[in-house]
Amino acid sequence: MAATIIQYIISGIAIGFIYALVGIEYTLVWNSSGLLNFSHDRLITLGAYIFAGTMIIKLNINYPIAIFLTFLSMGILGALIAQGIFNPLRNMRSNIFAVMGTMLLGRIIAELIRLIWGPVPFTLPGFMTGTVSIGSAQISKANIIIMIVSILVAVSLQLFMTFTKIGKAMRCVAQNKRASSLMGINVTQNICITTGISAIICTIIAILVIPLFNVTTTLAASIGLKGFSAGVIGGFGYLPGAIVGGLFIGVVENLSVLFLPAVYKDVVSFVLLIVFLVVRPSGFLGKRA
Amino acid sequence: MEKKSNTMNNKKRNIILICTAAAVVLILPWILTTDYQIMVMNKVLIYTVVVLGLNFITGLTGQMNLGTAGMFALGAYATAVAATSYGISPWIGLVLAIVMGLLVGRGLGYPSLRLKGVYLALTTIGFSEVVRLVAANWVSVTGGTTGIRNIPYYSLAGYVFDTQTKMYYLFAVFVAFGIFCAYRLADSKWGRIFKSLRDNADAVEMSGVNIASCKILAFTVCAIYGCIAGALYAHFMGYINPSSFTIDLSTNFVIMLMVGGLGSVVGNIFGAAVVTILPEILRVFENYYQLIFCTIVLVGAIFFPEGWMFAGIKVIRKMVKKLRKREHITGEMGGGE
Amino acid sequence: MGSLLKLTDTTKQFQGLRAVDAINLDMKENTIHALIGPNGAGKTTTVNMITGVHSVTSGTIEFDGHDITGMPTYKIARLGIGRTFQNIKVFPTMTLLENVMVGGHQCTKLGALRTIFDIRGAKREEEMLKEKAENILKKLGLYELRNELMQNLPYGRQKISEIGRAMMTDPKLILLDEPAAGLNPSERGELIKVIKAAYGEGLSFFLIEHNMDVIMSISDYITVLSFGKLIAEGTPQEIQNNPEVIASYLGEKYKQKMAEE
Repeated sequence: MAATIIQYIISGIAIGFIYALVGIEYTLVWNSSGLLNFSHDRLITLGAYIFAGTMIIKLNINYPIAIFLTFLSMGILGALIAQGIFNPLRNMRSNIFAVMGTMLLGRIIAELIRLIWGPVPFTLPGFMTGTVSIGSAQISKANIIIMIVSILVAVSLQLFMTFTKIGKAMRCVAQNKRASSLMGINVTQNICITTGISAIICTIIAILVIPLFNVTTTLAASIGLKGFSAGVIGGFGYLPGAIVGGLFIGVVENLSVLFLPAVYKDVVSFVLLIVFLVVRPSGFLGKRA
Repeated sequence: MEKKSNTMNNKKRNIILICTAAAVVLILPWILTTDYQIMVMNKVLIYTVVVLGLNFITGLTGQMNLGTAGMFALGAYATAVAATSYGISPWIGLVLAIVMGLLVGRGLGYPSLRLKGVYLALTTIGFSEVVRLVAANWVSVTGGTTGIRNIPYYSLAGYVFDTQTKMYYLFAVFVAFGIFCAYRLADSKWGRIFKSLRDNADAVEMSGVNIASCKILAFTVCAIYGCIAGALYAHFMGYINPSSFTIDLSTNFVIMLMVGGLGSVVGNIFGAAVVTILPEILRVFENYYQLIFCTIVLVGAIFFPEGWMFAGIKVIRKMVKKLRKREHITGEMGGGE
Repeated sequence: MGSLLKLTDTTKQFQGLRAVDAINLDMKENTIHALIGPNGAGKTTTVNMITGVHSVTSGTIEFDGHDITGMPTYKIARLGIGRTFQNIKVFPTMTLLENVMVGGHQCTKLGALRTIFDIRGAKREEEMLKEKAENILKKLGLYELRNELMQNLPYGRQKISEIGRAMMTDPKLILLDEPAAGLNPSERGELIKVIKAAYGEGLSFFLIEHNMDVIMSISDYITVLSFGKLIAEGTPQEIQNNPEVIASYLGEKYKQKMAEE
């Protein structure tokens, strides 16, 4: 029993890190452009397809180069999306256009995926499989890799934001766009860079979740939504909050299986979201609204 | 004096417009040749009801609601379960749908609307997903992924609305009533408050208005319309299953609102019609029709934010003005000769 | 004369900053009371506490015999406090008339359902609101512009229309947060006329302002804040000659200018 609980907690932490990355990825875009990127789950899916479908299966490139090429293409795509869609939409009269713009973009990406790679799901055999036993608990390698990579991403992002010029500019834009542009920061360009980084994080998520789910068109539908919950529960618009929120949701929903029928596991994160909005709308780490 | 004659003219114009619209609606089933086409029109009517409601929270008040599919599903399941498992009349199912709408409006509106920000978008999207998951997994009540079959048609004193044409006229009556209510509310002091909330909520609150309760009111109206439309849908299709109520459906409803123009009741109808009929026409492109449709709408959102109909009217007005000017000029020149 | 607005040891602490430090202020009925002081003195914070936008850290605020400390904004407004904003807050996509009518919403009674089905009642209410708004716009001299979209009006008109919106709530007191800022001299003259006229009809005003001409020509009583502390209060005459006020806010030049005049 104890071993099962430990296993639940560890896989909860692993999936929690995925939610945290999703939270980080959309919070970056939110902070820089003021848009909620509802196409992010489709971007994750697209990353998985480019990596698994094209780079590995079709072109048979080795993993490091494939990862690098996927990052590159997704980063460029992210910047293009920001320039072509986010920038015109964010200045419109109502934020409804921006939300719908990202939603439509998501649909277009989904349709493209269906047309290019076909609707049949597939897997990457032998990619991050196998388990490690610690004591009596069996932990899958994928979960361990997820944790290590996520921590690396979060730390390097923090370092990037603190020490590089672009990172500092990103923080300025997040706080005040007009003042930033008066200080000589090119806000439009900054949004492109941020969205590009966000798209790369999407790709990291995509590669990490391939062993957990198959490569399907709905690969990221549920983690996309739970990433939103993670953001709110941790403190909306605050990067460390996304991590705390993600881990919290991951662990709680995995432990919920002990009390609830397993099919309702996916409902937990949403119930937590509502509870937090009623009890503590600013989230774990957010400032009081 | 001039003002009075102006309002008189407006009134006359409105009456003429309403009469023409009513005539078109009445004749339409005779013009359409196949049952399938009338079925598409029935969908237009049902979706119009959703968009009329969505207009209040998203169009007028400016709060993003991405959970209309969930409301739609709740209304559909409420009446379908009542009718198939308990033999309750579809008309009472309609009342159930209204109750569901009230519950959703209050229950979801309270946590997300008393806060400033984007919380409604996030909670509604999650809500919709939960409704779908519960519908797919609570097999004993909802039938799970196979859904509910053999939902009875509406009937009135022994007369059964069992063909597409009969349903069309029934739904037309519903929609007419829905439009009446939506128009009365949107054109009243409440509509004005909703609009002002979109523009600047602080100033409204300083006028002594409880802004949270106003937003919740707008959201509740939306939920009631959504649930009623869902109930109509269940008795129209005869079967329902969870796969019809995805986030794509919610997105579609907001697209209808956007294409029609935010805040306009007439625009709502136009949007519901265009977004339902256009993909049917685009089906000639087979595999690519969704892609083409989404691209058209996305480009439309960027270039015609006021809605396609109003953008069209604007263009026509400009052209008429230009033509008149030209006529005027040529007329003057002609006079000079 | 009774007290209309009374702040007792009212304090606002923003983390490390004490924006308003235990100020005591007593505003009498039927007066135009001005709050002046250098930038960052805590004037707008004070108004925001009175209207419930900011919570009060300690102390109390009373209005017209009610303790309004910690009340939500809309309830404070319903007790009879109207307000205009330093950076105007209007509804740009609505007409001027509609903008002003929004202010009257709270005085109407019909709920949403009755608005839909009680056609005659709703019409009567709407006409009542419209008439009231039109009368106010006539007083403000904006009646001719009533059907213009707000976003098409010049800044000064938008600013004055905010007073109209506040008047629609039938307030006893209107808080004006820098009403003259951004107005040209002729618009300022109009503003003074409008305020004086409304004052003549029994309204009281509490205003924050930097423009000394406006302050000295309309206010009955002045309170001076500096760095969150109350440093002086009195009639315009007293304030103009108060050495501390001159040192911290008005400046020596102002005194010389006054002396020359």
